[in-house]
Amino acid sequence: MNTTHPKPSKGPIGVRTPLVDGVDKVTGKARYTADISRVDALVGRILRSPIAHGRILSIDTSAAEALDGVIAICTGEDCKIPFGVLPIAENEFPLARDKVRYRGDPVAAVAAIDEATAEQAIALIHIEYEPLKSYTTARKAMAKGAEVIHDDKPDNILREVHQTFGDVEAGFQQANLICERRFHFAEVNHVHIELNATLAEYDPEREWLTLHTTTQVPYYVHLKVAHCLEMDESRIRVIKPFLGGGFGARTEALHFEIIAALLARKARGTVRLTQTREETFIAHRGRPETEIKIRMGMTRKGRLTAVHNEVTQRGGAYAGYGIITILYSGALMHGIYDLPAIQHDGWRVYTNTPPCGAMRGHGTVDARAAFEAMMNEMAEQLGLDPFQVRQANLLQAPCTTLYAQKVLSYGLPECLEKVLKASDWENRRGKLPKGRGLGMACAHFVSGTSTPKHWTGEPHATVNLKLDFDGGITILTGAADIGQGSNTMVTQVVSEVLGVEMGRLRVISADSALTPKDNGSYSSRVTLMVGNAAKHAAEQLRDILIEAAARKLEVSPNQIQCEQECFRVITDNEKVLDFSDAVRAAMVDSGTVTTKGTFTCPPEFQGDKRIRGSAIGATMGFCYSAQVVEASVDEVTGKVTAHKVWVAVDVGRALNPLAVEGQIQGGVWMGMGQTVSEETRYDKELMVHGNLLDYRVPTIVESPDIEVHIVESIDPNGPFGAKEASEGMLAGFLPAMMDAVFDATGVRADALPLSPERMSDWLEAQECN
Amino acid sequence: MTTLSDFHYIRPETTEQAITALTETANAHPLNGGTDLLPNLRRGLVNPDTLIDLSRLTALKNIIWQDNRLTLGAGVTLQQLIKEPSLQEKFPALVKAARSVAGPSHRAIATLGGNLCQDTRCIFYNQSEWWRKGNDYCLKYQGERCHVVPKGDRCYATYHGDIAPLLIALEAEAEITGPDGIRLLPLQDLYQEDGRQHLTLANGELLTALTLEHDKQYQSDYEKVRVRDAIDFPLVGAAVALKRENNRLAKLRVVVTGTNSIPINVDLTHLEGKPWSDESAEDLTKAIRKAVNVLRTTVTGPKYRRRVVMAIAKRLVSQRWQASA
Repeated sequence: MNTTHPKPSKGPIGVRTPLVDGVDKVTGKARYTADISRVDALVGRILRSPIAHGRILSIDTSAAEALDGVIAICTGEDCKIPFGVLPIAENEFPLARDKVRYRGDPVAAVAAIDEATAEQAIALIHIEYEPLKSYTTARKAMAKGAEVIHDDKPDNILREVHQTFGDVEAGFQQANLICERRFHFAEVNHVHIELNATLAEYDPEREWLTLHTTTQVPYYVHLKVAHCLEMDESRIRVIKPFLGGGFGARTEALHFEIIAALLARKARGTVRLTQTREETFIAHRGRPETEIKIRMGMTRKGRLTAVHNEVTQRGGAYAGYGIITILYSGALMHGIYDLPAIQHDGWRVYTNTPPCGAMRGHGTVDARAAFEAMMNEMAEQLGLDPFQVRQANLLQAPCTTLYAQKVLSYGLPECLEKVLKASDWENRRGKLPKGRGLGMACAHFVSGTSTPKHWTGEPHATVNLKLDFDGGITILTGAADIGQGSNTMVTQVVSEVLGVEMGRLRVISADSALTPKDNGSYSSRVTLMVGNAAKHAAEQLRDILIEAAARKLEVSPNQIQCEQECFRVITDNEKVLDFSDAVRAAMVDSGTVTTKGTFTCPPEFQGDKRIRGSAIGATMGFCYSAQVVEASVDEVTGKVTAHKVWVAVDVGRALNPLAVEGQIQGGVWMGMGQTVSEETRYDKELMVHGNLLDYRVPTIVESPDIEVHIVESIDPNGPFGAKEASEGMLAGFLPAMMDAVFDATGVRADALPLSPERMSDWLEAQECN
Repeated sequence: MTTLSDFHYIRPETTEQAITALTETANAHPLNGGTDLLPNLRRGLVNPDTLIDLSRLTALKNIIWQDNRLTLGAGVTLQQLIKEPSLQEKFPALVKAARSVAGPSHRAIATLGGNLCQDTRCIFYNQSEWWRKGNDYCLKYQGERCHVVPKGDRCYATYHGDIAPLLIALEAEAEITGPDGIRLLPLQDLYQEDGRQHLTLANGELLTALTLEHDKQYQSDYEKVRVRDAIDFPLVGAAVALKRENNRLAKLRVVVTGTNSIPINVDLTHLEGKPWSDESAEDLTKAIRKAVNVLRTTVTGPKYRRRVVMAIAKRLVSQRWQASA
């Protein structure tokens, strides 16, 4: 790994630092939601629709209610308020009312004294449906005369997007080469290893509700549970225990969390609702099946002149994040290359499949893959190297894109240089034995979306610090550590600013009773926003300690230097106060010291109000990546294997190179899964992939060696220069692997995954030609 | 996965006790490693009143050589089989087939007998109770209709074992112990083409051992096609055993898996006595196409599985033919 350290630092910033909670996880000490024991917990179970679309004619729960040991049964009658992550598109009921819209839509739920009773009760609930025509493809759902899934959208289109920037027509006229291609990307799921689960405790005396739940966004869960249960938010407490992965699946309140709360309140007690892998697949929120038609114009030197992109997403049965997902597919066409003109048309379509949502690289991955694949194909037609085509279209930072995004730091040129060299591209591309090839591509992603989903006027992030008599500092943050390492990140930041040992710092995170509100862990916002807020809080605490030390040492504060737990008078090395003395001095008259740090994105980074939708894709800084993939294709079985990846990522500044490296490998790896084998499958309306045998997440055997090169462009907005480090490399894998397959076989893939089945069809077609 | 239903559990000390328990207990099911059984139990695909744990039957754990004849107890774990030096030396293809099963943690506990007797599989069957109920169940279990062949009169669930095809190609014999004693039969005859009842074991009978002859003139190999090189069952697999005498094929056996409710032993006697050539490769392809019946039982479509089973068989025979030159 090549890491450069532009600024020498005495603290933990820039140092490979094991995660502060890592040992708890690998020793099994960490407690996840389903591990939390409550002796009086009832067992929750959900009854789900067996049909994909239909009207509910009747629900008869009488036999289940009569069963011994059944404590509560909830149906749509128990909650008349819909939920949804976007205030403009709340259309999902925790338990279906009137209609079911996908196979698996929850219809009733039971709380009982044990599993067997709960399952027996579920079997005794009788529901009559009137089946309606259902759709598992966007094309059919959009067709004229199709059965309407939501009454307010008679054409089954949740959102259409039509945007044009620059003179697209003139751009195509200037082009020496225009190419057009259609791409198909299968739907994929996050497959976070920890299954969905909620422990809901209702205190009937005080009418308080406490949830432990598997979420990336405890604050959104808090809001939605209060809303759906019509409870005062002050009576609810949401805690996110250790979490086994998120990847976007848990960036909105999900039905099971609200159902657990409904059951607990009705049962006037505690309910544990754990979900199976199949149910976790049903809750879904994955990356939608996407059709993309892309038309691209280039000069003979490879300079882009115009792009026309048409994106259709099969969104599933409810809105969720859908509007944002389709906007993202256009928004992140910008911000990576100098793009003179683009027309973007997008359709987000309702279908009778589990609802899609945000997934690592939200909305941008398939669109980026199609774009990059097109660039590679056109490079070949123009007799140019794929690297040359990227170099011909680089941005000149600082700059503002057509979409009003500001680019202040831009390490893409260095990323390209690094992987070009590391992979020995010039000597190996096109020169490997038949069946083996090299391919490349680039990608980028936002370091947090600058506009929160709920406009409140509050700062984007708040971090509190508490320093007490013991000299220990507690960091209180609402940021949800979902495995990405945010607890470690804030610890490093505070330790760096204060010049104290990390062992002096404790993090308490994601408990609404203790920690300040945080919007949650999504859009790679945490390092930039929460990191800046932590830095701000620590700087204030440092100032308080310096002032106290100055008082004690009888000098002015600007004469005090603070490092390595010592407060020293700059001009007189003999005059020193150690950390505990400084703490004691600071507590005189004031008692326990608390500070609050905040971070707010300045308005110029929040998009341009004149551009509709530009709040999406607006960010404080972009992470950039370039990668080269070496792959082989077995011509007999059609099996595609990735052997090696060289990836360079501009992360601004690697606060923790160890964690950054892991995040980058994880991002590449997830792109690999989508490229080689992962896809959801429906046989008519039946989900047939709802387990880890039929939904094929790669195993360690399929995992290529991933060589990470960290590029540090030191972004002026990031804490210590840091940007996003875990999403901006995912999308690049898809087109890089497609390009490697081309180098190996001459086949231009236009659909993913590159399953043996699909690859073998292409190889056969190639033979026939 | 849901909670296990209640069942009785018996752990006999001897094969005789196990047979007695199997014969005398209503709705009893043998348990070896349980790697195939446990997911099926949790999904409610089998509902035995009693599980008879065979793990204490030491007689089933033997690996014995008598001259060139090998006896493998049905209770030998796949890991033991893989690590056995005499097998690595004399039956590398068997070791390869065993190593290709599932993942290391499965192989540590999964047994040879369990692997050979594993249940047939189908996308309409290996699903949750909720899933199957909403689809009116299926012919294999609780239902009236086969969703793969809606007009079919039998279940078409597919056999996806990796080891059986190779053992059949090596002409292994199965030792079956039952209330009336021991009987031996060609391993092929353990299976019958019915996805619902693919084993020919009578009530109270257990597969207790496999025996096979080592003939060093034979070249054998196994290849499975799958999307992931661990965990996955074979989409299809092919086992080859051949004997080359100068420039002709003295013996050729190809057994395929993942295509039918049983491993299919493809009749290739017409290729024996001739040299292996493009023409015989074509004949092999035709013979496989004729012998198999690949249907929509996995998420991967039948067209690919049909095509690739022929392709890998051809490749395997070519490789073995060349290796024995």
